[in-house]
Amino acid sequence: MIEIRNLTKIYKLNRKQMRESRTKNPLKTAVDDLTLTARKGEIYGLLGPNGAGKTTTLRCIATIIKPTGGEIYVNGKEVRSQPEAVRTEIGFLTSEIKLDEQFDVDYMFRFFGRLHHVPADVLKQRREELFEYFGIRDFAHKQIKELSTGMKQKAAIAVSLVHDPDIVIFDEPTNGLDIITARSVTDYLRKLRDEGKLVLVSTHIMSEAEKLCDRIGIIIDGRKVAEGTVEQLYAQTGTGDLEDAFFELYRMNRREE
Amino acid sequence: MSGIRQIYGKEIARIFRDKRMVFSVFFLPVVIMVVIMSIMNNLIAGMEDDIERHTPVVCISNEPESFGEFLKAADLQYEIKNISGEKEKRQAEADILNGAADLLIEFPETFQADIEGYADGDAIPQVKTYYNPSEDYSSAAYAEISEGTLEAYRQALLQERIGNLEQVTVFTVNTDNEDMIIQDEQKAGGKAIGMMLPYFITILLFAGAMGLGVDMIAGEKERGTMASLLVSPVKRSSIVLGKVFSLMTVSGLSSLIYIIVMVVCMPMMMESMTGTDGTGLDISLSAKQILMLGALLVVIAFLYSTIIALVSVFARTMKEASTYIMPVYMVVLVVGLLTMFASGKTAGYSYYIPLYNTALVLKGILAQEVTAAQYLIAFAETVLLGGALTGLIVKAFESEKVMSS
Ligand SMILES: Nc1ncnc2c1ncn2[C@@H]1O[C@H](COP(=O)(O)OP(=O)(O)OP(=O)(O)O)[C@@H](O)[C@H]1O
Ligand SMILES: [Mg+2]
Repeated sequence: MIEIRNLTKIYKLNRKQMRESRTKNPLKTAVDDLTLTARKGEIYGLLGPNGAGKTTTLRCIATIIKPTGGEIYVNGKEVRSQPEAVRTEIGFLTSEIKLDEQFDVDYMFRFFGRLHHVPADVLKQRREELFEYFGIRDFAHKQIKELSTGMKQKAAIAVSLVHDPDIVIFDEPTNGLDIITARSVTDYLRKLRDEGKLVLVSTHIMSEAEKLCDRIGIIIDGRKVAEGTVEQLYAQTGTGDLEDAFFELYRMNRREE
Repeated sequence: MSGIRQIYGKEIARIFRDKRMVFSVFFLPVVIMVVIMSIMNNLIAGMEDDIERHTPVVCISNEPESFGEFLKAADLQYEIKNISGEKEKRQAEADILNGAADLLIEFPETFQADIEGYADGDAIPQVKTYYNPSEDYSSAAYAEISEGTLEAYRQALLQERIGNLEQVTVFTVNTDNEDMIIQDEQKAGGKAIGMMLPYFITILLFAGAMGLGVDMIAGEKERGTMASLLVSPVKRSSIVLGKVFSLMTVSGLSSLIYIIVMVVCMPMMMESMTGTDGTGLDISLSAKQILMLGALLVVIAFLYSTIIALVSVFARTMKEASTYIMPVYMVVLVVGLLTMFASGKTAGYSYYIPLYNTALVLKGILAQEVTAAQYLIAFAETVLLGGALTGLIVKAFESEKVMSS
């Protein structure tokens, strides 16, 4: 279970970042008092426009960055006091995390398996299963730098799942993938959910959120503006389609600037 | 523990898998060193040959007859230009300045008559020579003729005047004494090597670790592969130690290779520079010396690795890291130079100055002059400083500002 209570994340911008975003304010509130709970056996989707704070939220959960305010519990472990314990529970994937180009997929898979203390026989079994599922066998011994975007993404997904985590956090997992590969990824996430795991994804693709997620939290300007199943969101906004619902919420909650 | 081992293993594998990296860390510096040494070797040897083959051009004013006869009898080949008068002397001086002539010998006008008719109390005639120390040919001609040939000429004239020279020779010094040099060959060899080795070790070790460290930390941040380690359950400190230890291993290994190559090439260098066969520089080390050197090198590699790692952590890109590291490299270079030229008594407090003390002790071990206290101080201080820097790197790894921006 992931419990986020009143999470706030404020970035301190350096001069260059201030210039780039044309602001004189050195503080940027990326996540603003966000509270949500995601449970075992569900796919929870964070849906929001660019810059809404989705990645920031996920990075806080994964202990890459520290919350400015609020708490996050991952299976009861707090991110700030037990970061290593939190990291054992999760499999985390984001486009900013890359695999070492010099090595082949197989080496990376085994390397991260060992970092996660996966016993050798289990590691072998995991490798069979994941390489088979994502069709990695054919390029398992190619260096990462020789792979296409899609192959890299598949490799990264397999590596992030090496330790069979209870909680899977994927930031825009289908980004850059063709529909066939994207489908195999979303199918795998469903399989994980059906096995009783918690899957937390972020996306800005409406159709994906609509089809994949059991519950959706809509984030605009760092705040959660609505949450629920697709039907609940339709009911809340009086619409019959996620895109319309999203626009309705966006219109109501956009911060005046 | 296991985390450190995994990270260490990956870093080492990364370096040894990359042929270009192996080449640039281990082979390229050796190749460059050997090439430079052999070029220097050839140039020096070529220069000496050339000077030997050159016939000195000697201008002589008022050449006495007996001098010409003396040269002929001694079978000395010079290109003699006889000059007379102020104007021609000016010209000869100009020639020496621009390299057309090598030496000017000025005899007094009445030289021959003066010595033949010498009586007690007469003024002793003076022969003047002029040369140009900035010209190699001129210097060589001066050394050979002014200090050698003229001396022999004087002896010849003296013999003519008084017959048996032994009467006026009260004693000679070292005309027949091959064992005149008394020194501990090993200590002397150690001293010569001790002067250069700490310098080379410091720069080579640092230079080797520099490129690797920058790649290992700033490069990994830049490529986004560091983040993959940061979301795994390994402790930040394990990542840091794994990286520092692998950096230490590889840079230590590479500097060891350079040192071996250098020790092998050193006699060759000495040979060409001093004209001797270089065997005078005996560089056999005792087991104790080797042990002391080895242990000290390990901790120096540790300290350097932590310095480089610390600087690299604060850089966002490899380019930035290389810029930050340059001033540190300069400091290391200067410290190395200081020890290379430091002579005389070293002040006691010098052994407390980090970086400098290790270079001093390296030098001391080779020259067999270091005390146990000096060694231990330098050793302990280096370990402690490296440890403190490692702590700082871990702190930096825990800061999101440093690690993910
Ligand atoms: N390291 C950082 N330093 C400063 N500001 C940041 C940093 N990372 C993100 N931001 C800012 O925080 C805000 C939220 O960014 P975030 O990456 O969380 O958005 P997102 O919802 O993932 O967007 P996208 O759909 O584009 O991926 C943005 O305005 C972004 O500019
Ligand atoms: Mg994002």
